[in-house]
Amino acid sequence: MSEHDDHHHGADPNLPEVRTEALEDLLVEKGLVDRTRVDALIERFEHDLGPMVGARLVAKSWLEPQFRESLLENADRVLEEENIKGAEIEHVEVKANEPGIHNVVVCTLCSCYPWALLGLPPSWYKSPEYRSRVVREPRKVLQEMGLSLDAETEIRVWDSSSETRFLVLPERPLGTEELNLEELAQLVTRDSMIGVAKVQAS
Amino acid sequence: MNSQRRVHDIGGVEGWGPVPYDPEEPVFHDDWERRVFGLMFQVLPHTAKRPGEFRHALERLAAEDYFCSDGYYGRWRSAMEVLLDEYGHVDKAELDGRLGAAPGTSPGYRVEGVAEIDPKHLPPNRVTSKPERRTVRRELEEPSQFRVGDRVFAAGNDEMGHTRLPEYVRNVPGTVVKIHPAEVLPDSTAHDLGDRPQHVLCVAYRAKDLWGETAEEGVVINVDLYENYLELETESA
Repeated sequence: MSEHDDHHHGADPNLPEVRTEALEDLLVEKGLVDRTRVDALIERFEHDLGPMVGARLVAKSWLEPQFRESLLENADRVLEEENIKGAEIEHVEVKANEPGIHNVVVCTLCSCYPWALLGLPPSWYKSPEYRSRVVREPRKVLQEMGLSLDAETEIRVWDSSSETRFLVLPERPLGTEELNLEELAQLVTRDSMIGVAKVQAS
Repeated sequence: MNSQRRVHDIGGVEGWGPVPYDPEEPVFHDDWERRVFGLMFQVLPHTAKRPGEFRHALERLAAEDYFCSDGYYGRWRSAMEVLLDEYGHVDKAELDGRLGAAPGTSPGYRVEGVAEIDPKHLPPNRVTSKPERRTVRRELEEPSQFRVGDRVFAAGNDEMGHTRLPEYVRNVPGTVVKIHPAEVLPDSTAHDLGDRPQHVLCVAYRAKDLWGETAEEGVVINVDLYENYLELETESA
């Protein structure tokens, strides 16, 4: 047996870090996994991916009405034209918030999410609390998360139950008329594109 | 009405508390989460290669493993352990043994096996041109039998195989609002029963139809459903 047996000996086997490390060692020993490729993949997902891709689409939609129309009409074509590729965006639909309409995205059956536009999903999005409740009482859940919508605003929940992925196009906040694309994109948060927050002017 | 039939199928299930919301949370909380995420991409090519197969491994976990305190990546690691055991790469006793864990610790001891699905519950296969790249998309010659505006419902069935029909919409009438591009049917591919591609329809449900008169006002829930799940609502339904 290998040196790794000694390494794990004595550590609490129920700790996630202990069990994960032992599993990785086993997979490497069996030749199923190449550690440097694991490292490279983590690096790419953690640092090169993130909500900035989606944020740029949102900011551009605010500046260019024609772009906004195309994005809402056929997001797949826009992503192709913008050369945006990657995981979990084979078919994307963009849903625009406007006065009286608010959109919010969930995946009740697992945790589907447009990775290549928003990065990896946050824990709360994957939590049973969010997944179970946001389809039954979205107004209450959003309020608990800090977003109070008036009673007249219709809430449209999108359950990602097929391979379609959803992106919310939030409303542009007042007081941002002077900002350029990059400055606007800086304001657009991940949570506003999931639909649990609004974009703030600063 | 919505008794929870399967561990993962939790849309609308009551009893869960506040969402653990943290607007500033990092991509990974601990290094082991990073490792689980990275390992997955090399484990899947040796195990669950078909659409829906990895999701089904998650769904077959025992509740204590699905809702484990290690969260999402703990669930992923458990599904990975299950698949590695089922595909003959790492026996479920091997990791426990190496760790000196109590025998039977591995989630592989509690997982539900893959159910035998009778293909007669599935729609017939349709020949489509093989796409050039790896994708779940397929081009179907025939248009969908449904149109935007149709009133439909999904009866579902009680088979325990993989499906993307959430329990909470079963037998509830809704309205087709959009037709998405066609996809292979996960209920079939997860069980190695062929692509059986289907149109995918976005169906809008009124909250009151799903949850009753006490439901929140002004709420619509949109769910994407494979065409074979759906039937036209008739007057008598």
